[in-house]
Amino acid sequence: MSRYRMVAAAIIPILVLSACNSSASPSPSSAAPQASTPAATTQASAPAASASTVAASPGTKFKGISVNILTFNGPQVAEPLQRRAPDWEQLTGGHVNVVAVGFQTIYDKALLDASTGTNSFDAYVFDPQWMGDFTGPGYLLDLTDRVTNDPQLNWQDIGPFFRDFNATYNGKVYTIPLDGDFHMVYYRKDLLEKDGVKPPATWDDYLAVAQKYNGQDLNGDGQPDYGSCIAKKKGAQSYWWIISIAAGLLQGKGTNDGAFFDTSNMNPLFGPNEAITKALETYAKTKDFGPPDELNMDVGGSRGLFTTGRCALTMDWGDIGTLTPSTYAQDKTGATITPGWTQVLDRASGKLVACDATTCPNAVNGVNYAPFASFGGWSGAINAKAPKENQDAVYDFLSYMSSPAISGIDVTLGKTGYNPYRTSHFDNIQPWLDAGLSQPAAENYLGAIKSSLTNANMVLDLRIPLTKRYEQDVLDTAVSQYLAGELDAAGTEQAIADGWNAITEEVGKDKQLAAYVASLGVQR
Amino acid sequence: MASSDSSLELEPREPVPSGSAFRARATRRAAQTADAWRSDGAARWLFIWPAVLLILVLSIFPLVASVALSLGRLAFHQGGVDLKIIGFANYQQLLFGLERSHFLGVLKAPNPIGWAVVLATLALCAVAWTRAARGGRVRPIGLLLRLVGGLLLVGSVWVLVQALASDGGRPGALIVTLIFVFAGIVLQYALGLGLAMLLVQQVPWRRFFRIVFLIPLTITPVGVGYMFLMMTDTSKGPLEPIWVALGLRDFTWVTDPWLARLAVIIGDTWQWTPFVFIVLLAALESLDQEVREAALVDGAGRWQSFRHITLPAILPVTTTIILIRLIEGFKIIDMPNILLGGGPGTATQSLTLQAYIDWNTLNLGRSAAIAYLLLILVSVVATVYVSFVRRRVTDLA
Amino acid sequence: MRNPFGRRSATDLSPPAKLGAFVVLLVWAFVVLFPIYWLVVTSFKTPYVVDKGPFYIPFVDFQPTLDAWRYILVELGNDTLRPYLNTVIVGLSSSLIALVMGAAAAYALVRFTYRARVGIIGLGIGAGGLAVVAALLGAPPAIALLSALAVFAILAQTIGRRFQRAMGNSDIAFWLISQRILPPIAVAIPLYVLFQQIGLLDNILALVITYVAANLPIVVWLMRDYFASLPRELEESASVDGASIYRIVRSIVLPISVPGLVATFLIVLIFAWNEFLIALVLTSANAQTMPLQVAAQNATRGPQWWAMSVLILIMITPVVAMAVALERFITRGILVGALKG
Repeated sequence: MSRYRMVAAAIIPILVLSACNSSASPSPSSAAPQASTPAATTQASAPAASASTVAASPGTKFKGISVNILTFNGPQVAEPLQRRAPDWEQLTGGHVNVVAVGFQTIYDKALLDASTGTNSFDAYVFDPQWMGDFTGPGYLLDLTDRVTNDPQLNWQDIGPFFRDFNATYNGKVYTIPLDGDFHMVYYRKDLLEKDGVKPPATWDDYLAVAQKYNGQDLNGDGQPDYGSCIAKKKGAQSYWWIISIAAGLLQGKGTNDGAFFDTSNMNPLFGPNEAITKALETYAKTKDFGPPDELNMDVGGSRGLFTTGRCALTMDWGDIGTLTPSTYAQDKTGATITPGWTQVLDRASGKLVACDATTCPNAVNGVNYAPFASFGGWSGAINAKAPKENQDAVYDFLSYMSSPAISGIDVTLGKTGYNPYRTSHFDNIQPWLDAGLSQPAAENYLGAIKSSLTNANMVLDLRIPLTKRYEQDVLDTAVSQYLAGELDAAGTEQAIADGWNAITEEVGKDKQLAAYVASLGVQR
Repeated sequence: MASSDSSLELEPREPVPSGSAFRARATRRAAQTADAWRSDGAARWLFIWPAVLLILVLSIFPLVASVALSLGRLAFHQGGVDLKIIGFANYQQLLFGLERSHFLGVLKAPNPIGWAVVLATLALCAVAWTRAARGGRVRPIGLLLRLVGGLLLVGSVWVLVQALASDGGRPGALIVTLIFVFAGIVLQYALGLGLAMLLVQQVPWRRFFRIVFLIPLTITPVGVGYMFLMMTDTSKGPLEPIWVALGLRDFTWVTDPWLARLAVIIGDTWQWTPFVFIVLLAALESLDQEVREAALVDGAGRWQSFRHITLPAILPVTTTIILIRLIEGFKIIDMPNILLGGGPGTATQSLTLQAYIDWNTLNLGRSAAIAYLLLILVSVVATVYVSFVRRRVTDLA
Repeated sequence: MRNPFGRRSATDLSPPAKLGAFVVLLVWAFVVLFPIYWLVVTSFKTPYVVDKGPFYIPFVDFQPTLDAWRYILVELGNDTLRPYLNTVIVGLSSSLIALVMGAAAAYALVRFTYRARVGIIGLGIGAGGLAVVAALLGAPPAIALLSALAVFAILAQTIGRRFQRAMGNSDIAFWLISQRILPPIAVAIPLYVLFQQIGLLDNILALVITYVAANLPIVVWLMRDYFASLPRELEESASVDGASIYRIVRSIVLPISVPGLVATFLIVLIFAWNEFLIALVLTSANAQTMPLQVAAQNATRGPQWWAMSVLILIMITPVVAMAVALERFITRGILVGALKG
């Protein structure tokens, strides 16, 4: 029939054209179409992998090279990258293109980009917790040699936890830390000091302090305020708080002990046991001392409440310290290490046992602290399949951003979203004063961070493949159902355990166990 | 629906002196005579093929790919992506397995009201079916289809009742989406029609109202979501003084599942009423005034005139706009996601939102499975709606 | 001065009823405009002021500031301008193309009679599926497509002819609208892969193509009702006089249909202007559109209400302006005459 022949005749040239096109595009080694164009006329000096020094001809070292970095459109996190890109360009001639997307989609975009061979990004400034999904398929460049020989970066200055656990996977370095993320508890120093109340050391103390101040007018505006503000919105960041509360009960023997699974058999520690029951009940109890819509509040809301003086206690990352200048809470804020517990979980029996020298070797005054490095801290990782010149250029930029001088200023500014992670950040107090903190406030804030960072029982966030599913899907849903009353504690624990086991089975229990053990640096 | 010729395949009967049936036959006759310029020539294909081809090309591959995805599991490894086909495991998980309480809900024994509803539905279906069987005008295949349809209806009501009217039952994403869609459509249509009816009267400032009422539709849905998040914030939002004045300072709607659903429905209605409003307004404005005037002279009241003249006249438009809103409404995601993240718990989690949560954690298989179940559900609803409406429109003609 | 609420005609409302109607309309106008007002006011607030609680009137309740505006328009500068331009280009072009293609298809569906034979369609889809499976199993796409086409051509001539059952115009129309049932989530990643193979990722062309395909069904359904209401006699007499179909469409149908076309254009423009998910997946650096910027204001540390308000306001301004300009067409537009007789 002529009609079909007409159709066939029309389609063939299109096929031919697309065949030509498709053989050109998705080969991973070629430069991706609309992205970085590694100019042929690069005047990059000897592209030696290690020993990339700033001293090489300034202004022309990476001339003509344009790199794409995928990150979060905060404006925090992207802000310092965007602000400092022109400075770096001045120094080296390389151009940085910051592609900022919404938080929910960085993971998808990066993984899609790498797995489909599109490779339009040369680097990702993202959550190092996701390394498990990226290093397995080999999407990230091994940076071990570069970082150890880089004077600009000053690798040893970075806090040991971030160096050894956060940036490393399976013994190799894959990320450059730009930010140090872990939880702390903030309190109204003026109120607690006036009443002679000590900052909470355990979660029971926390509840007691919250109860004491709940309902009182804390900021002089005539309205009753709240004892504790902890954001609990579903689908936001809330699932990290429950881990912070439970961590002290779950991990006692140091970071290698892990707080998510049993390192011998991959049993979820978030499951039917006394520790999780206690953690859930405590978490729910904080609701009683908080604002009525706390269940739908995300961290911006709880932060806003604290800085306007309406909360006695709150839990947050390091941001509150730098957000208080020019607010009601300025010079009234104290920070302390996340409260711990005087009991710990016996993994074999599922019951809580008292804290002593064997069960909690890191306890301070009988309290087992386990500061949770939730999220890990925004870090830069380099695409293994990006062109070599681009890799060198973007490495230099990330190293520049992380260098003590530059990062020392950025971590003092609330608008960057970057929190301290280097020893030098604590030793030099001047930038903090410049940022608007008073001397005692800065010392208190840095002191709390330091005591968290130097605690040997710091908890590493989950970094095995599919970590997002364990936390954002199963844990978040189950906990928010618990808070909403849809599930009771036993049901919640079972839901988490079942969900986690299903994911583990999907990937393969042995594989996940090996990945988990490797991520903790456990020697077997 | 559309009052064009071939859309209403009528069986021959005595001519009825009004409306679309008459016109349909007249145009069919006219079509036969003026066939020459319309049925041959390249125009016939040129006009329709670009649209059909574009949609075909862009829909076939995603359709097939998503079916493949829903039947498999993705794994990332060195050098690319693996799709492992695992059969219906994703669907099984949603309907019977781990995710059942999120998808269907928690189903428990119905309470007395629930039983009453189920039995009433059963009775109605039985009566309708026997009436059709005895009437003799329906073919056997038609009877069989009606039987299946009736069973489906009773089965769905049974599931609904187990989730909503039972002790300890809880609706899952499927039922929550149904609530959103049907409540939304009823509200949007009632409001849209009401506003349009008011605006065809010769009230002052008509032009201003027409433009203003269109504005909610122009805002991107994500933006509307955030706007409502701001508006409904009972501590910082503009409604805070009212909330406090009502003595509700310590109470919030975010913790109550039904209030949360209501908030989503209100937001959705605010956003989509303009769509219904604009279309109905155009329809009403083009109505022949003489018929209404004659009716009034004859002594018909306003309500009668509305019910017997206006309403039938705008019935085709109504059916089109409701079908479009039906199909779009099932995809609701931005409002529940931004307002509550699907919470409290899973109270406002719609189907597309659940698929989105899976998609976000790159669980593409389960996400595609949810999308496909949604596709099946909406196709069934749309088909039932279209056939139901077709019959009613021809009955009225 | 005429009483604005006076009775104008026989079917008009009585003055008290009219006043009542006016009040109701005012109430809804308030319901619509108050959130917009809140957006405007929020865009002039600092973060601290937003957190402190509801303040309603600038200069009276709180000190307005241009910080958010400056941030979006000046500091972000190009990062706002580029998505804005992309939205304008993608929105306008995809709506225009969809309008032309969709109106043509709608006209065809009401004036011509089609019988799409199910057998052929089934074979076509089967062949397409074959091509996809072959490509997935490793065959080069061109070969897969060619062979699928050959299979289709051969089978169509033999078996396809046997099955006479056909889809009529209304079935085709239903198939078109059913394309909108599947949520964008399900097709986002396959589309990503599709455009990646063609090399159109992060390119506004990909967005334009997708939006045209996505909005075509809406155009067809809205214009179908409209065209069906146009009196045939005009076209028929023209054809009797010897005009070709193209001439008829150009000189007779189009001029009368301007209202309907404009109204449909506006609706489809709004859909394309505000689309979020497909744009999210298919773009990264260069082709980002405005809805992504709005959504991205949700920082992991809380939504930036002030910046978001600015973005929403600058996004809706052109569309509202266009609506104002084209409003008179809308109301006389969509289904004029559909219901006469």
